[in-house]
Amino acid sequence: MAARARLPLLFPKTLPPLQRQRPAHTEAAAAAAAAKEPAYPPVVPSLTAKSKAARQRQADERVQRIRESPVEEKISLFTRIQRKKFVVYPQTFARNADKWYQHFTKTAYIPGLPERFGPGRRTTTPVAGEESSPAGGAPAPAPAVDGAAFADIRSLKRKAFLYREQEQNVGPFVRNMVAGLTHSVGRFNPLLRLSSLDIAPRVNFYWRRGQRIIPKGHRRGRLEPTRFQIDDEPQCQIRITQQLQQFAPLEASYAADVPEVSFAPDLMPLFRRQYDNHIFTGAKLPDPACYGHTQFHLVPDRYHRDRMARRQQSDQVEVFLRANGLASLFAWTGAQAMYQGFWPHEDVRRPFVSQAVITDGQFFSFFCYQLNTVALSVETDASNPRKNLLWGTESLRLYESVQDGEVVGLDDGVVKLLVQFLMNQP
Amino acid sequence: LTKRYPLYQLGNPQLRIFRPNWFLTLVRPGKEQPPDTVQFRIPMEMTKYDVKNYLEKIYDVPVGAIRTRIQFGSNKKRNHLHQKVKQPDYKVAYVQLAQGQTFTFPDIFPEKELKHEEGSMEEMQEKFMEDEKQRQRLDPRRGGVTEWFGL
Repeated sequence: MAARARLPLLFPKTLPPLQRQRPAHTEAAAAAAAAKEPAYPPVVPSLTAKSKAARQRQADERVQRIRESPVEEKISLFTRIQRKKFVVYPQTFARNADKWYQHFTKTAYIPGLPERFGPGRRTTTPVAGEESSPAGGAPAPAPAVDGAAFADIRSLKRKAFLYREQEQNVGPFVRNMVAGLTHSVGRFNPLLRLSSLDIAPRVNFYWRRGQRIIPKGHRRGRLEPTRFQIDDEPQCQIRITQQLQQFAPLEASYAADVPEVSFAPDLMPLFRRQYDNHIFTGAKLPDPACYGHTQFHLVPDRYHRDRMARRQQSDQVEVFLRANGLASLFAWTGAQAMYQGFWPHEDVRRPFVSQAVITDGQFFSFFCYQLNTVALSVETDASNPRKNLLWGTESLRLYESVQDGEVVGLDDGVVKLLVQFLMNQP
Repeated sequence: LTKRYPLYQLGNPQLRIFRPNWFLTLVRPGKEQPPDTVQFRIPMEMTKYDVKNYLEKIYDVPVGAIRTRIQFGSNKKRNHLHQKVKQPDYKVAYVQLAQGQTFTFPDIFPEKELKHEEGSMEEMQEKFMEDEKQRQRLDPRRGGVTEWFGL
């Protein structure tokens, strides 16, 4: 029916106030409308229906629940469900492993170290007087002592059994050297006095990246995220109470290029297993030393450069070291970020930085890692321009040989780099 | 006939094979493989080290890593006498090349435009069919609109 166009016959005594006095589109009216409680519940998709919208809402509810919980609950909710996942070994026999690992962790590799550690350390000429006196004075006695001790210990022990040379000879040397250096550098670096030196700690990290269509089974045709797990055991590591300073600003990583590998990880070869998803930095959550400083890794006998040379695979030595540094540091920084409450749907607000030294007794390689993003799963990576960065050197020789208890050809550059690494403080 | 090689014990001389009676077959991978991986079908008696030596010594191919598996040939199908018919098992080797070399399996059967020779029967038939089809098609200036409506 058409609205009444004429006024009623019986006029009311007072006319109702005209619409002009209560305008609908001002801020006061909007605020009033917001303050008023909504009359009906919000229109959202069902939670239990067999529909895509319902699945999406379940996922969103899960994300919301994790967002609102405290850190321990966040980690336990994130790692609750066990499924088949790829187990990534930092020390791997696979060829060209560093390209694959860069793709899995969205890391760009930058040869050489950041400016903080001086120009690219590739030559063996020691730079005299360049450093301040504290760093210059400290290393001189330490390696000389260590070298002699190292040679003595080696001659006393009998020949190691099958493939245990490194573990028996070089392991204790590295541990003693690190402990001694940390103690002596602690005089100049107050952070190290409050640090924690772990021997053979466990470092675990669990993350999701990429997806695939399940080819066979009762879930055939559906999308499944690819899950990865790293279980690492460095020789020793130093954890500190404060975060190290970033090497490069976040925005600088937008331009870095990460190699894309379009093949499934199975072809690497990488194998799947199902077990508990662990995220661990080396200490439990309440530990105050929750940030990482330096990790020290040992090259096992199986990947020693002499053995690789015998098999004509000398080019894979550097690849192995890079892959090891990459995977170990990514796992460590990722675990540190998770401990602070950052997870794929809540990306890190500041970069997490750690360092690593990988050695086989004679050759040392130095790596610096900056974690700019932990959002690697499919939904969060779609519009994520950030990339993680890895700086690394080639292997540098520490000494030529050990003869009659004397170290011949000690390279001071490498020692200075080691000390610089330990001196790094925010 | 398979030869039983002498069992190796510590101190024995290294087994050497001259003029091996083995033949490798290069195959196109069923699933897409990385560019440095080559797929072979090899005799069941060969091992990874045999393949590596074979390729390096006879064909001068630098081999990085090699992985093998045995593919079970199905025994499910039955013939007209309801007897099971076994398809033979075979061993597959995935060889990763060293020194950054890559290999892509070539296209052995490229798509060829079948052009009949001039003046032949088939050519005239093809032309006739083409003309017929052309007559059936509408004016291209109509842009796909049918002739049901309009003028």
